[in-house]
Amino acid sequence: MGPAPAGKQVCGAPGEAQMMEPALESTGKEGKKASSRKRTMSKSPVEGVLQPVKLSRAELYKEPTNEELNHLRETEILFHSSLLRLQVEELLKEIRLSEKKKDRIEAFLREINQRVMRVPSIPETELTDQAWLPAGVQVPLHQVPYTVKGCFRFLPPAQVTVVGSYLLGTCIQPDINVDVALTMPREILQDKDGLNQRYFRKRALYLAHLAHHLAHDPLFGSVRFSYSNGCHLKPLLLLRPNGKDKSLVTVRLHPCPPPDFFRPCRLLPTKNNVRSAWYRGQSPPGDGSLEPPTPHYNTWVLQDTALESHLQFLSTILSSAPGLKDGVALLKVWLRQRELDKGLGGFTGFLISMLIAFLVSTRKIHTTMSGYQVLRSVLQFLATTDLTVNGISLCLSSDPSLPALADFHQAFPVVFLDSSGHLNLCADVTASTYHQVQHEAQLSMALLDSKADDGFQLLLMTPKPMIRAFDHVFHLRPLSRLQAACHRLKLWAELQDNGGDYVSAALGPLTTLLEQGLGARLHLLAHSRPSVPEWDINQDPPKHKDSGTLSLALLLRSEGLTSVLELGPEADQPKAADFRHFWGSRSELRRFQDGAIREAVVWEAASMFQKRLIPHQVVTHLLALHADIPDTCVHYVGGLLDALIQGVKETSSTGEEALAATVRCYDDLSRLLWGLEGLPLTVSAVQGAHPVLRYTEVFPPTPVRPAYSFYEQLRERASLLPRLNKPCPAYVEPMTVVCHLEGSGQWPQDAKAVQRVRAAFQLRLAELLMQQHGLQCRATATHTDVLKDGFVFRIRVAYQREPQILREMRSPEGMISLRDTPASLCLERDNRQLPLLTSALHGLQQQHPAFSGVARLAKRWVRAQLLGEGFTDESLDLVAAALFLHPEPFTPPSSPQVGFLRFLFLVSTFDWKNNPLIVNLNNELTVEEQIEIRSGFLVARAQLPVMVIFTPQDRKSSVWTQDGPSAQILQQLVVLAAEALPILEKQLMDPRGPGDIRTVFRPPLDIYDVLIHLSPRHIPRHRQAVDLPHVSFCRGLLSEPGSLSLMPVLGYDPPQLFLAQLREAFGDLALFFYDQHGGEVIGVLWKPGSFQPQPFKATSTRGHMVASQGGELVMVPNVEAILEDFAVLGEGLVQAVEARSERWTV
Amino acid sequence: MVARKRKRAGRNSEEGIPSPPGYSAIPIKFSEKQQASHYLYVRAHSVREGAKSNWPQKRTLFILNVPPYCTEESLLRLLSPCGPVQSVELQEKPDLTENPKEPKSKYFHPKPVQGFQVAYVVFQKPSGVSAALTLKGPLLVSTESHPVKSGIHKWISDYTDSIPDPEALRVEVDTFMEAYDQKIAEEEAKAKEEEGVPDEEGWVKVTRRGRRPGLPRTEAASLRVLERERQKRARKELLNFYAWQHRESKMEHLAQLRKKFEEDKQRIELMRAQRKFRPY
Repeated sequence: MGPAPAGKQVCGAPGEAQMMEPALESTGKEGKKASSRKRTMSKSPVEGVLQPVKLSRAELYKEPTNEELNHLRETEILFHSSLLRLQVEELLKEIRLSEKKKDRIEAFLREINQRVMRVPSIPETELTDQAWLPAGVQVPLHQVPYTVKGCFRFLPPAQVTVVGSYLLGTCIQPDINVDVALTMPREILQDKDGLNQRYFRKRALYLAHLAHHLAHDPLFGSVRFSYSNGCHLKPLLLLRPNGKDKSLVTVRLHPCPPPDFFRPCRLLPTKNNVRSAWYRGQSPPGDGSLEPPTPHYNTWVLQDTALESHLQFLSTILSSAPGLKDGVALLKVWLRQRELDKGLGGFTGFLISMLIAFLVSTRKIHTTMSGYQVLRSVLQFLATTDLTVNGISLCLSSDPSLPALADFHQAFPVVFLDSSGHLNLCADVTASTYHQVQHEAQLSMALLDSKADDGFQLLLMTPKPMIRAFDHVFHLRPLSRLQAACHRLKLWAELQDNGGDYVSAALGPLTTLLEQGLGARLHLLAHSRPSVPEWDINQDPPKHKDSGTLSLALLLRSEGLTSVLELGPEADQPKAADFRHFWGSRSELRRFQDGAIREAVVWEAASMFQKRLIPHQVVTHLLALHADIPDTCVHYVGGLLDALIQGVKETSSTGEEALAATVRCYDDLSRLLWGLEGLPLTVSAVQGAHPVLRYTEVFPPTPVRPAYSFYEQLRERASLLPRLNKPCPAYVEPMTVVCHLEGSGQWPQDAKAVQRVRAAFQLRLAELLMQQHGLQCRATATHTDVLKDGFVFRIRVAYQREPQILREMRSPEGMISLRDTPASLCLERDNRQLPLLTSALHGLQQQHPAFSGVARLAKRWVRAQLLGEGFTDESLDLVAAALFLHPEPFTPPSSPQVGFLRFLFLVSTFDWKNNPLIVNLNNELTVEEQIEIRSGFLVARAQLPVMVIFTPQDRKSSVWTQDGPSAQILQQLVVLAAEALPILEKQLMDPRGPGDIRTVFRPPLDIYDVLIHLSPRHIPRHRQAVDLPHVSFCRGLLSEPGSLSLMPVLGYDPPQLFLAQLREAFGDLALFFYDQHGGEVIGVLWKPGSFQPQPFKATSTRGHMVASQGGELVMVPNVEAILEDFAVLGEGLVQAVEARSERWTV
Repeated sequence: MVARKRKRAGRNSEEGIPSPPGYSAIPIKFSEKQQASHYLYVRAHSVREGAKSNWPQKRTLFILNVPPYCTEESLLRLLSPCGPVQSVELQEKPDLTENPKEPKSKYFHPKPVQGFQVAYVVFQKPSGVSAALTLKGPLLVSTESHPVKSGIHKWISDYTDSIPDPEALRVEVDTFMEAYDQKIAEEEAKAKEEEGVPDEEGWVKVTRRGRRPGLPRTEAASLRVLERERQKRARKELLNFYAWQHRESKMEHLAQLRKKFEEDKQRIELMRAQRKFRPY
């Protein structure tokens, strides 16, 4: 089942889906169902295109007003550019709460207040006696262990206050949450309630009672429980309005103790408040050692006491400064796009507000700053400060009784104290999360500093889901394995502190373990934060093991991926024992070339493909060794898509090695050419011009060893020919190489004569290579084919001045001017631009080893969708290169999988109509030049092709997309990519395994009007198909080297020859689609309008017939004869022609 | 589809095949096996009064809509019953130019892939044309006695033909270059003769060769001269020297900002229309 690309709009990119409408043919055929076609979106072509601005002189040069000057100055001082200012303003408009909504929320809150105050009280009972609880409600807390001393009674709250972002005005749409603190009356609480979860039990019971009474109220659409920030000891009650306001707002009720009820000194991070005797049912070890401190537990209690003081603190700072509020809103969007703000230990908007308050107090932010400047300052601070080493504090007093920062660093990975000096605001934030925030901030700062890109779009509008941001991802499932891991890692104290939440207890140690093990391979390790569950009040709270899955993500260093060795210390050093302990049985003593004897771990990996997956080996080995998690519980998603670019019999490589071998052979050949003696002019340069030579050919060539008996032989020209009664021989594509000769004045100055002289060079080249190096050659007028080590190269001699000669035009007055002609442009492209591009991409592959995989996977996908022939090879390679050269807001991909996902994302969201894709190869373009290119693009938009790609060598014409794709084909690709991306991401993020990974590679066939089924016998690349075919044919190849005295069959691909004929004969009536990698079907689509009767014209009778319609003679396509022509032209190749005549009428 | 076919067949037998005015239609099929047929539209070749043509009037038959699998040989065979045929030529488009064509080299101009074509058939006698106009058909391109290659057969034979004979290529190149060299030598000799010799009005032609060569008459050269002039002038000019220059440059800056602002506003408008500001 492939993604259906029907005419419906794509939710991911609604703008794009409308972007490109057919520019050539805008009306559909008569009687065709509009909804079933892809060509249905038609708007006037002018709409949605940027036009160059034309202001009259008077308007441009009128006297400025004071306001205008102020506005311009403000823009210059406070913002980066006027565009950014406008963009930020628009975004804020979009996410801010409207006054209307605020009124409705206010009304709802007043209602809640009244109802909460009216909840009846109940008499005092023992905490363990919960018989009073009505049947319809469950306590929203895991009461383990169950027995707790103490009494509980319900009294209406002493005070109901709105706290949090809603009051501060930093609340953003969508998902509006309003936090309401319910201060529990002092009578409910007892002394020492802070001990052994007694406070939390009472809190939960308080909520349960409240929930029971509010649940029956018709005011509420839903009453559910959830956790506060994902902390499972602190449930809260969610109230949503009824009726049409259902999704307007979620009110969250947080019970909290009366102010000053808990003494802060008892809740310091070094104190214990959960006794082992109670928690584990056993007394602490008898030797009088101390109880383990419970810093997290203490923090959770403290958080409840500080709700109101935090609100007051923030409101004094934020209330008078609209710029700061804008900054908070922007940062919230920034965090949310990066999935950093959700779940336990997320970097919430509250933390950001506190951080801004801190920066205001240290005078790094001024209250008059704009939102953009606040965003920038906060990112700058995050990027340059490490809170895991040097914590910060909002507390100004120097009271010696306050705990030291060092105490907090002992207990928590990240330290940021509030104004009381007792509470660590970042208590739940793990080191990994903080490093991720830091990493993102660094990337964003780099982006803001580089002026070329559209920072706003990349920073605030581009989502960065885990699967698209990280190279490898793995899921741990089932989560209950982590319980065993906790025991193995001896994390009893942490469990006690976390109240039994083994997932968060194990997370920190596990990430540290993996970070140490992955070492130089790893750039950043991130983990998904467990999502915050929500459940009905009549259900038990979800168990820890049900809290979804734990996904860990790795951002790899490509330079670290090449090594298979983990070098340890020398054997006699004391550290060696640690190393052995860490790596277990994998650690071996090895003697190295420099004579050292060291501990080392060697991973088995021969090919690039296997080396990329060494992290998989490391992760499974370490988890099994240290955490008792077997590899069946680790679902590693890193190389799943690689199977699509593996050769037929290759399962241990993705072809990088084969490509490198071909390039080596090409290098040998160019050396031979340089040293060739006897040419009238010596060879000055040899340049590759074929995808293989830039590592982007989907299936790398294999050396040919033809079995002569399989072929006809043409002895006098030393060539093999295909034989009629055999299956089509293996496909051998010659690799084009351009050969430049030294300059000379002897060349003729006439285009025809130059052609002849080049032909003479081709002949001479063949002769000399044969004589001097014994290579089998075949010369034609335009090229010389050379067979070397089983690879065939096509050498084309180039004369530098030939395009010049083709361009020369003589005006009537005798003035010689230079004008581009199609022939000169074509020559220029093939002889100059193609080799330059090939060498630039070859260089890119050396920098980024994953480039080859990404480009090939992308090309493979486009071709598998039958769209490959609409795009030139080079244009797709350039799009893939853009992912590496302009990765913002990501980092350059280190695995083909993530690169491919980003390719789909780029293709489906890029605004091809209003933007050129600038691929800054070798970083040759400066910022100013890029801006110039962009403005030049706007002026020349109408003359440029639909898809525009500029490179430093091609700044004006977009050579590689000149002849395609057409607007429809590009639109189809955009739609397909937008469909494929969510499907694939969902498959990869599914912890139960991805299912059939080839789903998105299967093309939808239901959109075609006619299907031509081909016989696999005559498809030479049949075995490359996405789904490996069941039948296979002998293609005339030997498995061991044979003699190489005859030239193999070159470039003979019957489906391609057939397509060329079809396009020539019926190109103006229909479009033909085919997957060159083993496709068995040619899809035919009638062009819209081609069925419309036309008056007779002698120049356009091709394939038409004259018919009389209403007494008039008109021409209509002779469809029945054409369908039979399909079979006639492809005799032997065509199996069946399936006309889906229900889709069209003549 | 079947029903429609039957209907059309019936209509053909009753009314004859519709054809555009001046043309007559002849059905043509690849072989016996095909059901539907294409139609050749034929008429006598004629050109307007006074215009010349490459083909003799009256004896030439002009054919439209020749299917891609139909070769010159098969046309010759199919039309010879009407009278002896002198020549058959297939072309991509109807020929409008008057110039006689040069024979093209098969090495430097490989035969393109064939689609639907037009044909000019020259009969030896004018009667052949009139006989052809009344042909009933359907004509069969490929018969058992004269099979025409298509599909795999055709591609294999095309591949065989595409392998060139290097010797023949060499001979062709050599003959061409000899002729070319001779032509150049003649031109040079002529130019040498004329050099420095005034014409009847006394003008002497300046060439690039003589003792005092002139500038080449190319566009690039004239642009270069203009550019040099412009630079010379720019060097002499003073910037921001007078108060009015100062004022004007400030105004220019403001105008640039305004223009940019307008552009940005337009851009934002467009983005808003595309709902580009919904972050998620």
